[in-house]
Amino acid sequence: MIKKAIATIAVLLFSFITVSFAFAAEGPAGNKRKGKYTYRKVCKACFEAGQTDSASPKVSPSDKKMAEWKNIFESRNFESFGCDEQWEALTDKQILDIYSYFYNFAADSPTPATCK
Amino acid sequence: MEIRLIKNCCVLILAVFMIIFTLNMAHASKPVDGDSEEAPGRKLAKQAVKDSGRWTTIDHTKIDALNQDFTSGEEVTQACISCHSEAATQFHKTIHWTWLASGDKKDMRYGKAGYSVNNYCISANAMEDKGCLSCHPSWNKKGVEGEVNCLKCHNSSGYNFNEAFSDIQSFLEDGDPETNEIADELQQEVKEAVSKVNFPTRKNCGDCHFTGGGGDGVKHGDLDTSLTKPNRMLDVHMGTDGKDFSCTRCHTTVDHNIAGRIYTNPAVETRKSLIEDDLAPKITCVSCHSAEPHKNDSKMNDHTDVVSCQACHIPKYARVNPTKMSWDWTKAGKMKDGKPYVEKGPYGKPTYKSIKGEFTWDKNVVPEYFWFNGSLTSTTADDVIDPSEIIKVSHPVGDQRDPEARIFPFKIHRGKQPYDKVNKKLVAPLLSGKNGYWTTFDMDDAIVRGNKTLGIPYSGEYDYVETTYAFPITHMVAPKENAVNCTECHVRENSRLASLSGIYLPGRDKNNLLDSLGWITVLGALFGVMLHGLGRFFTRNGKED
Repeated sequence: MIKKAIATIAVLLFSFITVSFAFAAEGPAGNKRKGKYTYRKVCKACFEAGQTDSASPKVSPSDKKMAEWKNIFESRNFESFGCDEQWEALTDKQILDIYSYFYNFAADSPTPATCK
Repeated sequence: MEIRLIKNCCVLILAVFMIIFTLNMAHASKPVDGDSEEAPGRKLAKQAVKDSGRWTTIDHTKIDALNQDFTSGEEVTQACISCHSEAATQFHKTIHWTWLASGDKKDMRYGKAGYSVNNYCISANAMEDKGCLSCHPSWNKKGVEGEVNCLKCHNSSGYNFNEAFSDIQSFLEDGDPETNEIADELQQEVKEAVSKVNFPTRKNCGDCHFTGGGGDGVKHGDLDTSLTKPNRMLDVHMGTDGKDFSCTRCHTTVDHNIAGRIYTNPAVETRKSLIEDDLAPKITCVSCHSAEPHKNDSKMNDHTDVVSCQACHIPKYARVNPTKMSWDWTKAGKMKDGKPYVEKGPYGKPTYKSIKGEFTWDKNVVPEYFWFNGSLTSTTADDVIDPSEIIKVSHPVGDQRDPEARIFPFKIHRGKQPYDKVNKKLVAPLLSGKNGYWTTFDMDDAIVRGNKTLGIPYSGEYDYVETTYAFPITHMVAPKENAVNCTECHVRENSRLASLSGIYLPGRDKNNLLDSLGWITVLGALFGVMLHGLGRFFTRNGKED
């Protein structure tokens, strides 16, 4: 019984630490390069489905500050991006990658980026 | 009776002759078609650019050397020079590559990579400030140590090759099948983009020259992104609804050396038309329009030996986008909540940045006018200054006695920038990078590091001095109907040339003796005519012979 409790606590603690690290102050721990191309694919798919006028992304990392992207991605509210179907089809890992891309190139980051 | 008949006939013939003559004159003064009354300068220019269609004998999509999976920019350059064998060697000798005005690489006096400074971001610190190198035509901001990036000037795709190559290399190294797949897709994109080879477009040149100084229209005033696709009203030569000139149409090129002013050196030694020398660069107005461009009876032709074409034909600059007019470095370094901040003002442009200081912007600006013979003086970081005066970092050379000088329009950018209080020299603080001012906000340390890159000693004490930087205004040529009117200069109050001394400008200037002599002449002539008329009236009028 004690063993099980310890194991459960350990698992919970591990999960908590992992999630904390992923969304830590230094930024999410996804692959930001991969996130950039995953995001572009979302926009391209959205355009091909006739939901946008252009395949070029309408939202760029430099549009908001790091804290704002943190709120959006942690609350998983992707309304401002449009393309709901495409966002729903993404895995957690892919969303984390996109989050890393937006966070690391936000308006108040050292290298704000515009996505083309 | 017979005499009277002959006399009447003579009067009738004279009257008919006069009517015919008058009608002929009236018709002759109306242009029958576009060319009959065209100004000679306009006609010559049309001939000079008659064959405007550019053509090529090569389709780069069919070149094997370009149909490969590139993993770096350097590989692209090798593919280019596999055919264009001398291109890189030629380019290495140009100022676009060396950033030094002199052909001698040891002569660092003038140039971005030398001692030259301005009153914007001040210095490129001998290419040590990597922030500036985004405009150097090398791959990966390596400067003269790197390979020439041919695509910077010769590619129309707008593709971000540096980003793509950085991502490709990273994806190929990480061993993840998913990212390898992305790398393959990227290489395909690169291949398609690389083959879009072209002569330099306005966009190619403008990527650096329209955004010099850190943003759109910051530096020149007559060069900004509005010239990427301008209309005729903005520039009669480059207007896409007009002649649609690319930059290289006037900035002609020999061995990759592009015609134009180089720091203190004029763009050309002498003004020559293409009729005088068909290989002369087309860089001056005279090249195509000749020295007497207006109609033969036009008073304007009497001005061309003292007034530049630009002075009248560019009435205002920054006519679409605003341009930066002043930069005060003394205000840099303020924080809000311990963090650097930005404030925006009119035109949506930043008026304050913690990293740079305070700015002002303006639009539709009337130029300031100076005598200019094509050369500029330049105060470098190695020149001793008098800080009690406003330092002219760059200023036109010439005066009214100089036969090569003309009255020329300028943008004057005013600044306050740091100088060495002991050595009395302008300093070159390092700005970007982890040790630069934009990160540390320590100006003293930034000057130590920046001056070290140039090998110029720094005493350790700095203050700020007022400076000006002059840019010749030569682009944004307006249609002739919008040229400056005579009365904008030849007027007592608010003349455009109010600050130009040493010349007598009719209308603007007043000299009692000269004015009195003029009035005496006019009144004397009137009096003479009246006296003559009265004499005839009283002595002969109505008398029979």
